[in-house]
Amino acid sequence: MLPTSLDEAVEALAASPAAVPVAGGTDLMEAVNAGRLRPAALIGLGRITELRGWRYEDGGTAVLGAGLTLARMDRPDFAALIPALADAARTAGPPQTRNVGTLGGNIATAAPAGDTLPVLAALEASVTLARPGATREVPVSHLLTGLDPMRPGELLTWVRVPLLNAPQVFLKATGRSGPSRATASVALVLDPARRAVRCAVGAVAPVPLRPLEAEAWVAGCIDWDARGEEGVPAIDPAASAAFGEYVATACVPDGYGADAASGLAVEGPTAVALRLRRTVAVLARRALGRALK
Amino acid sequence: MTSPTDTALAPPDAPADSASASASAEGEEGAAQPFGLGSSPLRTDALPKALGIYPFAADLWAEGLLWGAVLRSPHPHARIVAIDTAAALAIPGVHAVVTAADLPNPGEGDAGAPGPGTDRPVLAAGVVRHHGEPIAAVAADHPDTARLAAASIVVEYELMEALTDPEQAFNAPPLHPDGNLFRHLPLRSGDPEVVGEVIVEGLYQVGRQDPAPIGAEAGLAVPRPDGGVELHLSSTDPHGDRERTAACLGLERDRVRLVVTGVPGATADREDLSFQVTLALLALRTGRPVKMTLTREESFQAHATRHPALLRYRHHADAQGKLVKVEAQILLDGGAYADVSSEALAAATAFSVGPYICPNVFVDAWAVRTNNPPAGRMRGEGALQTCFAYESQLDQLAARIGVEPLEIRRRNVLATGDAMPTGQAVTCPAPVAALLDAVAASPLPALPVDEPDTDWLLPGGPGGAGDPAAVRRGIGYAVGMVHMLGAEGEDEVSTATVRVSGDHATVICAAVDSGQGFATLARQIVQSVLGVSEVYVAPVDSDQTIAGPSARGRHTWVSGGAVERAALMVRHQLLQPIAANFGMSVELLSIADGKITSYDGVLGMPVTEALEGKELWATAQCRPHPTEPLDEAGQGDAFVSIAFCAMRAVVDVDIELGAVRVVDVTVAQDVGRALNPGQIEDRIEAGVAQGVGLALLEDLRTSGGLLVNPSLTGYRLPTALDTPEVRIAALLEERDVVATFGAKAVSAVPAVVAPAAIAAAVRAATGLPVGRLPIQPEDAVVA
Ligand SMILES: Cc1cc2nc3c(=O)[nH]c(=O)nc-3n(C[C@H](O)[C@H](O)[C@H](O)COP(=O)(O)OP(=O)(O)OC[C@H]3O[C@@H](n4cnc5c(N)ncnc54)[C@H](O)[C@@H]3O)c2cc1C
Repeated sequence: MLPTSLDEAVEALAASPAAVPVAGGTDLMEAVNAGRLRPAALIGLGRITELRGWRYEDGGTAVLGAGLTLARMDRPDFAALIPALADAARTAGPPQTRNVGTLGGNIATAAPAGDTLPVLAALEASVTLARPGATREVPVSHLLTGLDPMRPGELLTWVRVPLLNAPQVFLKATGRSGPSRATASVALVLDPARRAVRCAVGAVAPVPLRPLEAEAWVAGCIDWDARGEEGVPAIDPAASAAFGEYVATACVPDGYGADAASGLAVEGPTAVALRLRRTVAVLARRALGRALK
Repeated sequence: MTSPTDTALAPPDAPADSASASASAEGEEGAAQPFGLGSSPLRTDALPKALGIYPFAADLWAEGLLWGAVLRSPHPHARIVAIDTAAALAIPGVHAVVTAADLPNPGEGDAGAPGPGTDRPVLAAGVVRHHGEPIAAVAADHPDTARLAAASIVVEYELMEALTDPEQAFNAPPLHPDGNLFRHLPLRSGDPEVVGEVIVEGLYQVGRQDPAPIGAEAGLAVPRPDGGVELHLSSTDPHGDRERTAACLGLERDRVRLVVTGVPGATADREDLSFQVTLALLALRTGRPVKMTLTREESFQAHATRHPALLRYRHHADAQGKLVKVEAQILLDGGAYADVSSEALAAATAFSVGPYICPNVFVDAWAVRTNNPPAGRMRGEGALQTCFAYESQLDQLAARIGVEPLEIRRRNVLATGDAMPTGQAVTCPAPVAALLDAVAASPLPALPVDEPDTDWLLPGGPGGAGDPAAVRRGIGYAVGMVHMLGAEGEDEVSTATVRVSGDHATVICAAVDSGQGFATLARQIVQSVLGVSEVYVAPVDSDQTIAGPSARGRHTWVSGGAVERAALMVRHQLLQPIAANFGMSVELLSIADGKITSYDGVLGMPVTEALEGKELWATAQCRPHPTEPLDEAGQGDAFVSIAFCAMRAVVDVDIELGAVRVVDVTVAQDVGRALNPGQIEDRIEAGVAQGVGLALLEDLRTSGGLLVNPSLTGYRLPTALDTPEVRIAALLEERDVVATFGAKAVSAVPAVVAPAAIAAAVRAATGLPVGRLPIQPEDAVVA
């Protein structure tokens, strides 16, 4: 099925609940080819042009279509709008997959290493879920943690992102120079209006993690008035480094990577945990540094 | 038999002047293709492969074909109590289910087929010894049905403890009737009591690299009316594979025909015996063509990997850093089956000191059986692992003595005439010092200091997390060596036929072009010897005469030698009547620029004219001089010839994240003679790329014997962004007088040296010891 409008797609999905929506297919077809998934029918979303762009709402919010491709999000106009999301989209796989892979698909797949997810979590974005005659708004974090999951027959249509008009950064550590999944990632956004820093760590847990205490602590360390001024450091480098450690300890538990089945009591952080913490700490420190540059 | 020295002498003026030959070819034919030896024509399959229109084995099709699928062991070690195929057979569309019981000769033990892998069953019978070992196979009318049916076969296992630590193999209960020790090779040379003034020790580890062929295993089997079977697949050893397949199927060898097709480029053996025999058996059982393609995961499970290794070294040197003694213990993890472990071990042992002189060498090397994935052939097997170890040792020694890494190497380099620890004198050119000088003299890549950060490709890649302030640059050097052709008494032989009719020539030789460029080279040889520009290389099948496997850098020598000799015989047939006509001997005529010329210039006749209406052909063989096995002290003339290579790697390391980017690799290689410089550069780039993979990325991990990352997401291959600028500082052309055209094999040695050079550069950037490959981020983090 290839609906050309949103309504048509929502109707089609309701009419055949066994059908599976497919956008770019870069996650879905991999599962089909590997034999992990045998959809009874497919509903292609590629022809729904209204979902492939974005619009503005109330001046302070961008409403992004679920069909926005990762490649489109990397273009300068979008990057000026939501820089961290553009950064994440730019590193999310090779050009071939980014040309067709979509924001909605990245969210719906909800992979631990999904690159847009920590950014959306840090931005406190929400999504619109549609079924015939009804829509509901769910914070991305609730969707991902399963607090309020997507229900059968629902279509993810829009992603609401607050526009902060301030520096924001997405940094990703990977195992190679070429396109690769994150081993850890950090999204960090400044919200000068609220004098707040929001940060999310990706790929270290099934869902992005928010180190709320570290965020609050570091917001107090920043000289918000000096920010952007030439030659005035907005934060003490030591505080910046401490923030990194704080985020890392908050997001990587001592027992990370320990063999749960072994049943041995964990004494202190595992070697894997220490390594991952180091990586997360460096990413968080660098992200803050770039945001305050 | 003949040695190539008496057959390989090209007419003195024919091959060398490729430039003028190519000019004339262009002039006459209007063709832009370069011509003859020394030029760099493109591979004929280069464009189709780049355009995606090359037909690979997975694209094969036959009317009425069935699809094959294999059931593989989910356990690394288990006894098979019972196999129940009833449920699979009951599925509509299933035409056959086969197990080891259906094989006339299951391939295990002495009754097995000859060649490597005689200890490896085609389909597991009593015991499975590694994760993914094939147990049964199905043919059905749809690939999904075949896979479903394979999954419906019920196997009752009795799990056994998996032996995954090669160090435990010695004391563990035998995993196989042949025991757990594939080979122990001691090497004793000199005085064991000598002690050096300076001693450096190291423990080195090499992980499991997979050939990860981009084209996964695929093939088509077609039953023949005579009860035999025809196999269409990407074999790299058509005759050996035919022999083994026929033996396992209990057929006469003539009843099995192997047609080589769709070779995707191979750095290891293709396709494994189990795949071929199973496919053939399914076709024989069903009487229908059967096609089988492995999934990526199966491909990782099925083919052999590089040998993981553990190497313990102790180097003794005098105060100036001259080596006085090397002691080493080398352990190769051969995995579940023998394959070529014995051969890999011989190379590891013989080259354990590297291209250096050392009077006293004491090595013990073992290759053992475990329940890990089987290891086998992969560019520079054995030689690569030790190169990493001995080069790391030399870096350590340099640091200890307080001299530059280059200097410590210069003080110890081997040269032609020197003896190796095996007692064999290096009779071929060994320009090791010149290779080092060439890379050292090559300019270094510029530091991107004046460029904006955004233009600097930082470790971690574009859009990564790199920070210029945390990046350190390191420069490392390595030299290494690898033998070419089969070692330790292996009979090396190849045969080729050259036929000329009218204005074109055809080469018939069963040497598979697995990417090494043999088909292009064969064309160039015939062009040079006969002056014919249009040369076709026939597709390979096992009905042709034997040429041997595409491995060990042998085809340029043996098959190239056979092609040259056949071409020379045709040349003689062509020139004989002309010479007789002019009352002069054939030796006074030469072929150059597509023209036959007499020594006095009186005669000048285009080759095409001389060939008109003629059909000439000749078949010839090439067999290099024999070698001998290493004895119980690791002594013997085991190798036909050796190739050397030096590299300088430049890396950038983000010392906080441990991310490494190889910026530049500069190479000087001992090639004997550059028969196709373009192709040599490609092979060097390929070797460097594979070396980058092993040094930084590629590791097929196991946990309790189970594969952890059998996918191209989990198993990270280097991408274009990970592979560095590769610069050729020099292709040193010192002829190896016994080799065909004086040329040395070029593919393996860059792959052998690159990991060691990259490790040395990371060491220089971080000051850390770097004792394992691949280098993990934590090995490059400076705390
Ligand atoms: C080689 C390769 C590399 C990759 N690298 C990365 C990477 O580095 N980082 C990363 O984050 N991702 C990566 N990916 C994953 C993938 O490209 C992204 O997750 C992409 O955003 C998925 O989008 P899609 O449109 O292709 O989704 P699809 O495959 O079409 O769909 C994925 C899932 O989402 C559902 N779905 C899609 N749209 C909707 C909708 N509107 N409403 C409800 N459900 C929907 C589908 O039913 C399906 O279950 C990679 C993929 C490949 C093949």
